[in-house]
Amino acid sequence: MTSIPDLVERALTLDKYAVSRLIGIFEDRRPDASARRSSVLAELDTRRPDRPLGVILGVTGTPGSGKSSLLSRVAVDLLGSSETLSIAVVAVDPSSQVSGGALLGDRTRMRFVPDERRLFFRSQASDNDLGGLGPTSFQVCRLLVRLFDCVFIETVGIGQSEADIRQLADRVYLVLQPLGGDEVQFLKAGIIEIPDAFVLNKSDEPASDISFHQLQGSMWLARPFDAEFPPVFRTSALTGDGLGELEADMLGALAAAVDSTASAGAAVVAQNLSTREPYFLERWVDDEWGRRGVAFLHDLLGGPDEFLSTVGGFDAALDRFDETFAESLSL
Amino acid sequence: MTEPQKHQITDADGNVVRDRPWIIRTYSGHSSPKASNELYRSNLAKGQTGLSIAFDLPTQCGYDSDDPIARPEIGKVGVPINSLDDMHILFDEIPIEKMNTSMTINGTAMWLLAMYVALAKERGVDISELTGTTQNDLIKEYLARGTYIFPPEASLRLIAEMYEFCLEEIPSWNASNICSYHLQEAGATPTQELAFALANAISLLDILAERGHFDDDQFERAVGRISFFVNSGIRFVEEMAKMRAFGELWDEYTRDRFDVKNEKYRRFRYGVQVNSLGLTEAQPENNAWRILIETLGVTLSRDARARAIQLPAWNEALSLPRPWDQQWSLRLQQILAYETDLLEYPDLFEGSVVVRSKVDELKREAREEIDKILGMGGVIPSIESGYMKSSLVRSMSERMSAINSGEQIVVGLNKWADGIDSPLLGGDDGGIFKLDESAARNAIDSLNATRAKRDDARATAALDALKSAARSGDSMMSPSIECALARVTTGEWAGALREVFGEYRPATGVDGQKLSLTNERVDGVRRRIDALTERLGHRPRVVIGKPGLDGHSNGAEVIAVSARHVGYDVIYSGIRLSPDEIVQSAVEEGADLIGASILSGSHIELTAQIFERLAEYGASDDIDVFVGGIIPQGDFDKLYSMGAKRIFTPSDYELIEIMESITGVLEERADAAGI
Ligand code: B12
Ligand SMILES: Nc1nc2c(ncn2[C@@H]2O[C@H](COP(=O)(O)OP(=O)(O)OP(=O)(O)O)[C@@H](O)[C@H]2O)c(=O)[nH]1
Ligand SMILES: [Mg+2]
Repeated sequence: MTSIPDLVERALTLDKYAVSRLIGIFEDRRPDASARRSSVLAELDTRRPDRPLGVILGVTGTPGSGKSSLLSRVAVDLLGSSETLSIAVVAVDPSSQVSGGALLGDRTRMRFVPDERRLFFRSQASDNDLGGLGPTSFQVCRLLVRLFDCVFIETVGIGQSEADIRQLADRVYLVLQPLGGDEVQFLKAGIIEIPDAFVLNKSDEPASDISFHQLQGSMWLARPFDAEFPPVFRTSALTGDGLGELEADMLGALAAAVDSTASAGAAVVAQNLSTREPYFLERWVDDEWGRRGVAFLHDLLGGPDEFLSTVGGFDAALDRFDETFAESLSL
Repeated sequence: MTEPQKHQITDADGNVVRDRPWIIRTYSGHSSPKASNELYRSNLAKGQTGLSIAFDLPTQCGYDSDDPIARPEIGKVGVPINSLDDMHILFDEIPIEKMNTSMTINGTAMWLLAMYVALAKERGVDISELTGTTQNDLIKEYLARGTYIFPPEASLRLIAEMYEFCLEEIPSWNASNICSYHLQEAGATPTQELAFALANAISLLDILAERGHFDDDQFERAVGRISFFVNSGIRFVEEMAKMRAFGELWDEYTRDRFDVKNEKYRRFRYGVQVNSLGLTEAQPENNAWRILIETLGVTLSRDARARAIQLPAWNEALSLPRPWDQQWSLRLQQILAYETDLLEYPDLFEGSVVVRSKVDELKREAREEIDKILGMGGVIPSIESGYMKSSLVRSMSERMSAINSGEQIVVGLNKWADGIDSPLLGGDDGGIFKLDESAARNAIDSLNATRAKRDDARATAALDALKSAARSGDSMMSPSIECALARVTTGEWAGALREVFGEYRPATGVDGQKLSLTNERVDGVRRRIDALTERLGHRPRVVIGKPGLDGHSNGAEVIAVSARHVGYDVIYSGIRLSPDEIVQSAVEEGADLIGASILSGSHIELTAQIFERLAEYGASDDIDVFVGGIIPQGDFDKLYSMGAKRIFTPSDYELIEIMESITGVLEERADAAGI
C-alpha cells in the first residue's frame, strides 16, 4: 500500500495512478474514510497553500443531447489552447434500479490521448440519486479542484432536482438537441432557470433552426425578469461547428476565476468551496438517513451551517453526524 | 420423345436437364501471400470452383504490417496484403480472367479492387473480363463485423463510387455484397436479418439515385448488380422460408420503389455461409451435422437456392480450419450437389400452404421494420443513433439468456453434455490449426522491399491525387488504381483517406440492455456484490476490453451486460482499442478488474501488453485480469504465468457461473487484504 503523502506527492504531478487512488478515497463510503480524506486535503493544502482552486464547469442537459461528445472535443481543444491547463472530467451515468450496477457509457465518447497527464477522465454511477450527480460527486470535486485547473462535471440527463449541479458548479451549461415541441415543454418546467448558458447541439441537423427560435422564445417566457438572457451557443459535436465560441466562453470562465482569486488570496479560495458544504452536507444526510436525519440536522444541530462550524469541517461533520444521530436513535 | 413430367427441369428447348450446381467455395487465407497462393491452388485442384479470400485484420482495417497496432495480428486470420507486389504473389499461376474471386474486404474494399485491377493491367488482362465480388458492406461492419474505418457518409460514398466505376468498366464485378450473414452471427432474428439487409440495400440504391451518376438504363443495371450474402441457421425450415421471403421482398421493392422494369434485374442473387455462431467448442464433432442441416436450408428450394456456398468446419469454435477440415466441408457440398438427386427437381415447396404462410409472416414483420428504419431516414441515421446496434445486442442477450435457462437446447452444451471424448481432437495437433510464426517477418520484409524499390515521387503524387479527389468529391477509384500501380501501401492509402474523412466509432449498443435471467443464482451473486460494495467502500468496477483489431464483439457485449445485470459498474468502450487505452481506462476509473475478450488469435501478445502497461502504471496489484475468447487449451499456462486470474472459452456459456467465478476472485483478494 502506498502511503497518503506518497500518493499526494505523485498526484500533484498528475500521475494517473495516484490521482485515481486519491479519488478512490473520496469515493469511499466506509465510515473510516473521512479521516483519510481529511489527511489528503491537509497534505495538499500544506504542500500547495497558494494554488488557486480549479473551476468547476457543469454540463447538464437532456439524455443523448451530445454532452459527452461535446466534452470529448472541447477537452482536447482546451488542452491544445494552453501548455499547462489541466482538465479533469467527471461523468455521471445512471445505475440500474434492480441490480445497482451501471454501464458507464460516457467514457465511450472520449478520445484517447496517449500519455497525457493533463487530461483525466472518471466515470461515476448515479446510484439512483435523483439529482443528476452521484453520491460522492461533491467529495471528489473537493479533491479535483486542488489538482486540476478545470473540472467538468457531466450529469445524468436532466433529473428532478437538477439544482445540485447549480450548487456544485461555478458555471452551468445546459445542452439541448433540436427536437421540437417536447423539448420546449421541458424548458418551461423550470429547468431553464438553472443554466448560465445554453448549448443547442447537433446544429448539423435540419430541425436546428426552428429549435433555436423556439428556445429563444421560451426563454423570454421563462425568465421574463432577467435583464440579460444567458448566451445560447449553437454547436455540432459531429462537425465541430460553433465549438470555438463555446470554448471561448469556457476559457473566459476559467480566466475570471483565476483573476478574482489572485487578488483575494488563498483564504478566499478555500472558502469558495466551503460555501457549498452546507448544501452537500444536507444532501448527504438526506441520502444516508432520509427525512428524519434532515429534521434532526435542522432541529437539534442548528442546521448545516452551524453544525459545520461547530465541528470544524466537512469530513468531521459527516463523522459526527453519524455518531450523534445513531445515538439519538438508540435512545 | 416423351413429354417432360411436372417434376422435371427442362431447358429452353424442352429437354430434361439437371441444374448446374452452385459455386462451391472455401473461405481461406492465412500467413503470407505465398502460403495462401499454395492453398488456393491446391483447393482449385480439389474441385473448388471459385476463390474466397480472407485477409488479415491489418489489411482489413487499413494498416501496414509494420504499424505497431498490426504487429500482433499479421497473417493470423487471413493473408496480409501490403501492396500490389503481394497481389502478384497471391495470384501467382492463377488465371484471374477465368476466376470468380470473392474478397471479404470492406473498409479497404476500394483499395483491394484497385489492386486487383492494377494486377490485371500489369498482366495484360482486359479488366472487363474480371469477375468476382468485393464484400464492401460497411453498414454491417458498424453493426457486427468491425472492420470499418471512416464515418458512414464517407463509407457509402466509397461504395457508390465503386458501383459507378464497375458498371461499365468491370460489368461482371459485384461492387458490394449486402450482408445479412454477419447480422445473424451477431444475434439477429430472421426478421431482423431480412429487414436490416433490405433496408441497407434500399438506402444504397437511394444514394445511387440521388448522386445522379446513372441514367435510367444504367440505374436499372446497377440494381441488377446488387447481390447479397446471407446466413443459414439451424432452424432450417424457417431459414428456407426466409430465403423465399428475401427473394419476394427484393422483387417487390425494386419494382415498386425503384421502378425496375426488367425482371432479370430484380432477381435476388445471393451467396451463403452457413451459421457458425451455433457451432460449439463442446463435442465439436456434432458441428458436422449442424453444418449439413444448415446447408439444406439454402439448397432444398430451387426458387430460393444460393448461387455460391461456403461452409465452416467442424472445429469452428477451436481455431482456424486446417486444410483437412476444409476438405471435409468441401466434400459435403460435392456430395449434396453431385451424389444426390437434389438438382434434378424444380422447386419442391411451390404450393405448400405451410411454407406460404411462414413466408408471408416473415415478409409482414420485415416490412414493418423496414418502414421503421426508412422512417428514421434510412440506414445512416439508424447507425448513428445506435438503433440497429441496440436491437442486435438485445437479440444476442436474449439468445444467450435462452441458452442459459435451457429454453433453447444446444446438444452437447446445455443438454447431453456428457459423452465419449472425440477422437477428432486426438492427433498430434489436437485438431487445431497452428500458424507459421515466420509469416509476420516475411510480410514486413516484403513491405520494406516494396518501399525500397518503388519510385517515391510517383507514390507521393498518387497519394496527393487521391486526397484531392476525396476532398473535391471526384471519384477516388482511378486515383486508387494509380496508387496501386505506384506501389503505395495499404496503410498509406487508408491513412490518406483518414486524413480527409476522419475515423469513426459506432455505438456499442450495450446501454440499457439486460439479460432475461432472474433466478436464485442471480440473486446470490447480487448479494455477494452488495457485500463486496460494503467491504471495498465502492461498487466493484470492471473494464471490459477488446484489445487489438479484433471485431468479435458478441462475447464482450454479453459479458458487459451480464456484469451489470449482477450489479457491477461496467465500462465497455467497444472494439479495437489498444492495450494502452484499455489499461488507462482501468487505471483512471479505479477499476478492480480488466476483462479482455480476444478471438483474433493474438491473445498471447495482447495479454502480455496489458500486463506491461499495468506494471508501468504501478497498478498491477490493484487490478486483476481475466481473458476470454478463442483461447486454445495449450496457451492457458502461458496466460496464467503472465498473471491472468481466470480464462473463459466458448464452453463457458453459463454467464452467471462466469460472474460467480470473477466475483470469487475479488472476494479472495478482499480476504487477503483483510477487509
Ligand atoms: C460470431 C463470429 C463472428 C461474427 C462476429 C459478430 C460479432 N459482432 O461478434 C462475424 C461473422 C462478424 C465474424 C467475423 C470474423 N471472424 Co469470426 N467467429 C464467430 C464465431 C462463429 C462465434 C463467436 C461468438 O460470437 N460466440 C458467441 C460469444 C458469446 O461467445 P465468445 O465470444 O466465445 O464468449 C464466451 C466465452 O468465450 C467467454 N468470454 C469471451 N470473452 C470474454 C471476456 C471476459 C472478460 C470474460 C469473463 C469471458 C469472456 O464468455 C462468453 C460467454 O460464453 C467464432 C467461432 C465460434 N463458434 O466460436 C468465429 C471465429 C472467432 N472467427 C474467426 C475469424 C477468423 C473471423 C474473421 C477474422 C475472418 C476474416 N479473416 O475476416 C472475421 C473478422 C472479424 C473481425 N473484425 O475481427 C475465427 C478466429 C480464429 C482464431 N482466433 O484463431 C473463429 C474462431 C472461426 C474459425 N474457426 O475460423 N466472426
Ligand atoms: N448529428 C449529430 N449527432 C451528435 C452530435 N453530438 C452527439 N451526437 C450523437 O448523439 C448521440 C448521443 O451523444 P452523447 O454524446 O452520448 O450524448 P449525451 O448527452 O452524453 O448522452 P447521455 O450521457 O446518454 O445522456 C450519439 O449517437 C452521438 O454520436 C452532433 O453534434 N450532431
Ligand atoms: Mg453522456
